Amino acid sequence: MASVKLTGVKKIYDNKVVAVHDFDLEIKDKEFVVFVGPSGCGKSTTLRMIAGLEEISEGTVEIDDVVVNDLQPKDRNIAMVFQNYALYPHMTVYDNIAFSLRLQKLPEDQIYERVTNAAEILGITEYLMRKPRALSGGQRQRVAIGRAMVRDSKVFLMDEPLSNLDAKLRNQMRAEIILLRQKLDTTFIYVTHDQTEAMTLGDRIVIMKDGYIMQVGSPTEVFEKPANLFVAEFIGAPKMNIIKTEVTEEGGRYFVHPFGVKIEVDGEKGELLREKGIKNRKVLLGVRPEHIVLAKDGGIPVTLEVNEMMGSELHLHVYTEDQTRLIVRVPTIDLEKEERENLVGGHRLGITFEGKVMHFFDPETEKNLIF
Amino acid sequence: MKKYSDLEYLKLSKWQRFLHKIASFFASIPRSLKNAGLAIVNFFKNIFLAIGREISDICTTFVKGDWKTKISYVIMGFGNCARGQILRGLLFFLFELVFIFYMFIAGIIFPGGHGGAYWLSMLPSLGLIGPHEEYNMVLDSYTTVYGDNSFKILLYGVLTIFFIIAFIYTWRQNIKQNKIAEQILRSGKPLKSGKQDLHSLVDDQFHKTLLALPMTGIIVFTVLPIVFMILVAFTNYDGTHDGYNNSLFTWQGLENFRTMLSWSGSGNQVYSATFGEILTWTLIWAFFATFTNYFLGMFVAMMINKKGIRIKKVWRTILVLTIAIPQFISLLYVSKMFAKNGIINGMLLDWKWITSPIPFWEDPTLARIMVIVINIWIGIPYLMLIATGILMNIPQDLYESSRIDGAGPWKQYTKITLPYMLFITGPYLLTSFTSNMNNFNVIYLLTGGAPTNVAASSAAGSVGFTDLLITWLFKITTGEGAQYYMASVVGILVFIVVAVISLVVYGLLPSIKNEEDFQ
Amino acid sequence: MSTKGTRTHMGLKARSRISNTVIYVLLVIMSVVWLIPFIFIVLQSFRIESTWQVGYILPQKWGFDNYLALWNTDFKQWYLNTFIIALAVAVLQTIIVLCMSYTLSRFRFKMRGPLMRFMLILGMFPGMLTMIILYRVLKDLGLTQANAVPGLILVYIASSGMGYYVSKGFFDTIPKSLDEAARVDGATRLQVLTKVILPLAKPIVIYTILTAFMAPWGDFVFARYVSFGTSAGMNVAVGMYSWLQQDMISQRYTMFCAGGVIVAIPVTILFMCLQKYYVEGVTGGAVKG
Repeated sequence: MASVKLTGVKKIYDNKVVAVHDFDLEIKDKEFVVFVGPSGCGKSTTLRMIAGLEEISEGTVEIDDVVVNDLQPKDRNIAMVFQNYALYPHMTVYDNIAFSLRLQKLPEDQIYERVTNAAEILGITEYLMRKPRALSGGQRQRVAIGRAMVRDSKVFLMDEPLSNLDAKLRNQMRAEIILLRQKLDTTFIYVTHDQTEAMTLGDRIVIMKDGYIMQVGSPTEVFEKPANLFVAEFIGAPKMNIIKTEVTEEGGRYFVHPFGVKIEVDGEKGELLREKGIKNRKVLLGVRPEHIVLAKDGGIPVTLEVNEMMGSELHLHVYTEDQTRLIVRVPTIDLEKEERENLVGGHRLGITFEGKVMHFFDPETEKNLIF
Repeated sequence: MKKYSDLEYLKLSKWQRFLHKIASFFASIPRSLKNAGLAIVNFFKNIFLAIGREISDICTTFVKGDWKTKISYVIMGFGNCARGQILRGLLFFLFELVFIFYMFIAGIIFPGGHGGAYWLSMLPSLGLIGPHEEYNMVLDSYTTVYGDNSFKILLYGVLTIFFIIAFIYTWRQNIKQNKIAEQILRSGKPLKSGKQDLHSLVDDQFHKTLLALPMTGIIVFTVLPIVFMILVAFTNYDGTHDGYNNSLFTWQGLENFRTMLSWSGSGNQVYSATFGEILTWTLIWAFFATFTNYFLGMFVAMMINKKGIRIKKVWRTILVLTIAIPQFISLLYVSKMFAKNGIINGMLLDWKWITSPIPFWEDPTLARIMVIVINIWIGIPYLMLIATGILMNIPQDLYESSRIDGAGPWKQYTKITLPYMLFITGPYLLTSFTSNMNNFNVIYLLTGGAPTNVAASSAAGSVGFTDLLITWLFKITTGEGAQYYMASVVGILVFIVVAVISLVVYGLLPSIKNEEDFQ
Repeated sequence: MSTKGTRTHMGLKARSRISNTVIYVLLVIMSVVWLIPFIFIVLQSFRIESTWQVGYILPQKWGFDNYLALWNTDFKQWYLNTFIIALAVAVLQTIIVLCMSYTLSRFRFKMRGPLMRFMLILGMFPGMLTMIILYRVLKDLGLTQANAVPGLILVYIASSGMGYYVSKGFFDTIPKSLDEAARVDGATRLQVLTKVILPLAKPIVIYTILTAFMAPWGDFVFARYVSFGTSAGMNVAVGMYSWLQQDMISQRYTMFCAGGVIVAIPVTILFMCLQKYYVEGVTGGAVKG
């Protein structure tokens, strides 16, 4: 139960490669923060610096207002779950979980109490006498979490804990982590490259790229108000459609012209454009696939390339007349049977979207223009 | 050299590609030589720059430091003690005391002992007074009086230089520590206590603890002797100049190298011819010993591994058994088996297959072939084990897909097995080549270098046709006529040969160049 | 159609049977070639009608005379020397090698790269050269000739840190995240080594002990230097080597065989028991380079 504060944290490797640039972040007590980004963005490195496994080149890391830069991992009172679980192969599940407690020289009866307790919560009681290699991936994962759980540590660090599991198990474990979090009620820092995990787990999400923080915010914030093009494309699946176009103003009303079709930017977004004084300039227009609708008639003319049937929804891969590729997400339930049967490659249709779903990015800086 | 783009290169015929590869290999030699040269120049440049930086840092620390720091320049560890780091300070101070004691005081206190200063001062001459006859009043006769000891002067001289370097380094650390301590105190943080220091030796500084013992051993028993022996190559240290009992030895400059490498002089006295002959045989031997073992070992492994062969374990165990038996037993015994009156000749004579014994060890060519063949007998089990391990790691789907592509067993071997093996074992082949160059046991225990090469330089000990550089070196160093300085020269030349081969091959190894190919 | 199919099937089978037969023949021949010298040694160690080499294999008179005769020579002293040396070297060398290889595998300190390069270069010098000086230094310390045993132990273990390659290769295969997990769990570096890494490194520890134990039985050069000329300080290799020289061979040849058997038996049994680990080490070492 502690706050974590990173101030100007930098990681420079011996070969002068900078992995993390001036990382500033305050994590409140009992907060669940997720670092997310593509591989090589520095998210794991940052986590490992907090853990003390990686030296901090510049800046300070504070846990509960104490600078821990020079402390060994064991002295930081943290617990960590590793991507490949890092279970000690020569110890039983019980010994694995008890390892840290034994190092603290706790009496055996207390160790027994805590380990069985954790095993109970995680549902691994019957495996306590097994060695890790006799466990399935999901069970190993639970042991790894159990090992971190018993320690009553101030901060709980998780480094891509679910990435070695198959899709189904991953969904299940994700739900369990949410439950676990409610039980443990401590500070969590979670690293993942999977935006779904980030969105579902985090109170706040830190989106990183090339060692820089791109945006920090709640899942809703980063989804609805992405700070820049990178965040917009990274969060949400399938990813946001980006269209080169321009914003024009006609008598106080704002318009965009995707593929020669004039669409009004009305409502809140129009207000924001006015506020920021954005008019008559080139922009990158972002529209999420689920916000595009099939036009009954008119709209932007496109040709269907591939139709992916996902069950509850259809992902339509279409291209416009100038060969720009777009993705449209349509709930299956919205379509009549014949309509669906018509949606095969080569089918021509029209699409459109409303002003309130639009995002505007500067083509040069890629910043959100109405952030 | 024409540069091809990837697509252009792919259009070339097999021959053109081959020629292109060869041409680009030779074309790259000047560049790699230039790079090597630059690397060496840079190395020294960096050293000088680093020394410059250190000196300027020492000066600025002195100017900017407080009085505790300034005193530490003379009394090591003073700053540490004054700032509360008693343990560190005392260790520094103790080291300084030991150093001063060794350098200047030891020679005065102990009768007949000498301090570091003495050894250092004698180093240029390696001793002035040799053993000589002196009139002894008590016995009323002339007795031998021993003077300086060149051997000890050289040894302790080198040791003293090591010690001085260590002292300078420690002194520098002492200054650095003061600087860091001042910085830490200025930033308001506490310094590490002695207890923390001790604890860090099993934690964040654990590597220092772990390395202390092994590195001490290496420095005292390998580095120091090697430096000493390199220096011996520039002296006339031998059986008749042992530096104490019979005569002092002294510096000779490059004289020994000149003797070893010069072609002038009368027939039997020319070392260079002998050296050249032995070096050639050493290289031939190393080549055959390495590659016969390698390919035959691989062959045996593949035979045992073949699908459908039963009792694989038994075949393997029979071979592995021979690794267990100490080599001196098997080699000495086999050597006697093939002797003129040995069991092989005996049986062949009994069976009337031959009328006179085959001169296995007496005929130069036959002896050379024999050592290579017997080395195969010794070496195959190892290689079989290694090859088995690697063969089992080759992904089976490579073979399956190649079979679908229409490859037969031979194609599979040349296109999959061999490249894979060569890739994985490249570095091993290199080390095995160099260790075969220095394979003392096999040669010495089998033949002892025999048959004697009468044409070889008589000044270089009795050299045989199967002698390698390393057994030659051994022969030079034993007996009354031991020429340690020559052994030293041979040793240095062996080092140069091994180093050059390693450098060249290392640069060519695919496993170094494209590490990911087979991963 | 179906007959044709069967025929090719038979053809394949027949062909593989032929090639397997060829392989069996080769393997049998090989086994004979590899075992014959050892069978000869054993047979001749029981021969009592003459002590010198003969042109036949099976002894005409059998007996333990050669083994009994060993008792009256320095052989038991040599054997004891070698055994003590092997035991001490096995323990000490293993400790040193493990320290070195674990450090180089796990710690990333500033001098690591230069250190490894330095040792690589050092290894290119013929080690024998250093014997000249080591012999004189040991002699000054009184650790040669009759006292050769401690001297030899010192020489063997002192530089053993340079033989770290194989076990470092093994340590490299143990995931680093285990160390990290243990450190987060509250272990010091020392505890990481003793509680996590060492239990996992059992195969390589046994390999190191085994090779360290076996080496002194076969070492000739260093043992000859240090024990020079004094029988009491010799190891079996140096001692028994002298039996096969011109002046001794006619009386000692069969005794050499008997001694060889006695030396080989314990080492071979030990080796066979631990063969698995040896194979693991040898293969791993070669793959790692």
